[in-house]
Amino acid sequence: MAGKLNRRQFLIRSGMAGAGALSLPALLAACGGDEGGSGGGGGNSLFFENWPLYIDEETVKVFQEASGVSLKYTEAYNDNNEYFAKVQPSLSKGDKIDPDVIAPTFWMAARYVQLGWAQKLPVDKIPNIANLRDDLKGQPWDKDQEYNLPWQTGVAGIAYNMKTTGRELKSVEDLFAPEFKGKIGLLTEMRDTMGLVLMGLGKNISKLSTFDEAAEAFDKVEKAKNDGQIRAFTGNDYVDDLSAGNFAACVAWSGDVLQLTKDNPDVRFVIPEEGGTNWFDTMIWVKGSENSDAVAKWMDYVYDPVNAAKITAYVQYMSPVKGVQDELVKMGGEAAPLAEDPLLFPDEATVARLQSWGALSEEEEAKFDEAFAAITGA
Amino acid sequence: MVTLSLGVIALGAGWVAGPSAAVVAAAMLATVVGLVSVAFVGGLETRRALAPYGLLKPGILWLSLFFLAPLWSMVVMSLSSKESRFDFFPSFTWEWDNYRIALTDFRPQFLRSFGYAAVATLLTILIGFPLAYVIAFRGGRYRNILLGLVVVPFFTSYLIRTLAWGNILADEGPVVSIIDGLGLQGAFESLNIMDNGKLLNTPAAVIGGLTYNFLPFMVLPIYVSLEKIDPHLIDAAMDLYSSASAAFRRIVVPLALPGIFAGSLLVFIPAAGDFVNAQFLGNPQTTMVGNSIQDQFLRQLNYPVASAMSFVLMFIITIAVLVYTKFMGTEDLA
Repeated sequence: MAGKLNRRQFLIRSGMAGAGALSLPALLAACGGDEGGSGGGGGNSLFFENWPLYIDEETVKVFQEASGVSLKYTEAYNDNNEYFAKVQPSLSKGDKIDPDVIAPTFWMAARYVQLGWAQKLPVDKIPNIANLRDDLKGQPWDKDQEYNLPWQTGVAGIAYNMKTTGRELKSVEDLFAPEFKGKIGLLTEMRDTMGLVLMGLGKNISKLSTFDEAAEAFDKVEKAKNDGQIRAFTGNDYVDDLSAGNFAACVAWSGDVLQLTKDNPDVRFVIPEEGGTNWFDTMIWVKGSENSDAVAKWMDYVYDPVNAAKITAYVQYMSPVKGVQDELVKMGGEAAPLAEDPLLFPDEATVARLQSWGALSEEEEAKFDEAFAAITGA
Repeated sequence: MVTLSLGVIALGAGWVAGPSAAVVAAAMLATVVGLVSVAFVGGLETRRALAPYGLLKPGILWLSLFFLAPLWSMVVMSLSSKESRFDFFPSFTWEWDNYRIALTDFRPQFLRSFGYAAVATLLTILIGFPLAYVIAFRGGRYRNILLGLVVVPFFTSYLIRTLAWGNILADEGPVVSIIDGLGLQGAFESLNIMDNGKLLNTPAAVIGGLTYNFLPFMVLPIYVSLEKIDPHLIDAAMDLYSSASAAFRRIVVPLALPGIFAGSLLVFIPAAGDFVNAQFLGNPQTTMVGNSIQDQFLRQLNYPVASAMSFVLMFIITIAVLVYTKFMGTEDLA
């Protein structure tokens, strides 16, 4: 990966662009785009819109040759909420959108499923679905694993700059330590930030269903903001502030920090002792798409551990596919050490500390989002 | 021309669906029909009298398509309500509550926006006037080069320049190191420019960013009005035993006022609606109304409240500009 633009750098740059007025033209452009379909026609083509740099460079080509499916793979999925805002006009009218498959973060995928904008996957034709990691199976919003198939998974924890903190951090409480006043960063991704704070207060986020149960954590963050403890709420650009020393510590995503530590050993990632938030981005089949054979072939292909390992070696997130660890060892070379990486394959004690958010009702989710928006000051 | 106009109308109506389409179509049709009928039916005199208005037609067509129609749909949206959060087509229900939310919940952001924009405007005058003065009166043959230097940085993207300030003002960046090195941190803290040893992510950084980003919009108009001043007027004042400062006060400044006026509008209006500086140079307690509108629109999917906020912003700015115009006058805009 050396010398190439990696996923993190890409996200930072596109984050800059996205944060500017540039998101609006994209939004308008989307309005005119209901026609066109996925090209090719028939059942033998597929359009997968995914997050930037979330796949290696071979897979798409090799898959096309092996399966005969013409796959269009784009990287225009940049932000859950903004993508939703972009496709909402078409999908709410019952029109189809261009991509057949997209990979929203799990809570957003749940929203698509609940709104009826995702269709049942051709599970019978995806034998490799058996390789799905057990802990990801049967989400509350998709108990029978009919609508979603995870793409990659990761953890939100705490990243810190040893040079600025001068000590190792272990706990969520460290984010609220007075010694780091004005040096703490939190993510604008509500679930990742609030998930950690809630766990710090001893709550179980997978069992949380109403805002009232979480209000305490929101008060805590609001107080920290008013005291000047929080320096900024950021998107993926937190990595810049972290390596520049503007942040002593911040809420961060595991894969990013793995990359960062390589260049700057002072930057460390820790899953706090109170726990870390587990998240996954998951493939869903968008309503209106008719390419069920191609969808099945693709999902089956990437759920083959041999193929999944190639993707993991490149993107360095936790794979949702069983057997990837062994395949990485077999691949040898640069990939082999990844099989030992505790952030890619955490031990059981660590896994036990991870929690993921349950599904929130539309009304409760709105309360969470509004309360969080009020705190971030926007 | 008539067919072309009708074509544009059809196209426009196709783009903006719903009630706004009707507004556009009506506005456009009225101008076309009116002018065409006058052209055929009216006498020579009326035709002559109305000819200038014919020249307005492209402008009117353009404005109805790209200004009136969006404005109308924004008004409608701002009075609508959503059944469900993911409802894309809110229904029009005279939902005045949207305006209450905009004015109460987002009051701090509005106040902050106008406050920051006002301070930034003052700063651009304080920095821009001497700069323009030197270029206009002392620039000599380097005038154009100096003017070019004012503008050159602005060939880079606005966003990139703002992000660059993030690096310059960073905690371990050059500016903070120099301040620390000179032992001036205390002084800056007492002036409220620094906060707890940091320069970035403070109100001062946001205002500084606004000032920097909008400075050319102040310098150029002031330069234009200063450049037009006949130096003989100043000589004449001196001949009449005026002191240099009196000549400056009573000749130069009044003649430069139109430039200052135009510059203030060009700086204040976009600065009040800006969200880039607050996003990258500010902290959670310095968000401006532009950030809130963006958040309501793209993250909360709350189009009605976002529209109401945009409308309030526009309204306040319009009033402010009208009041300002009343006192400053626009007869001689540079």
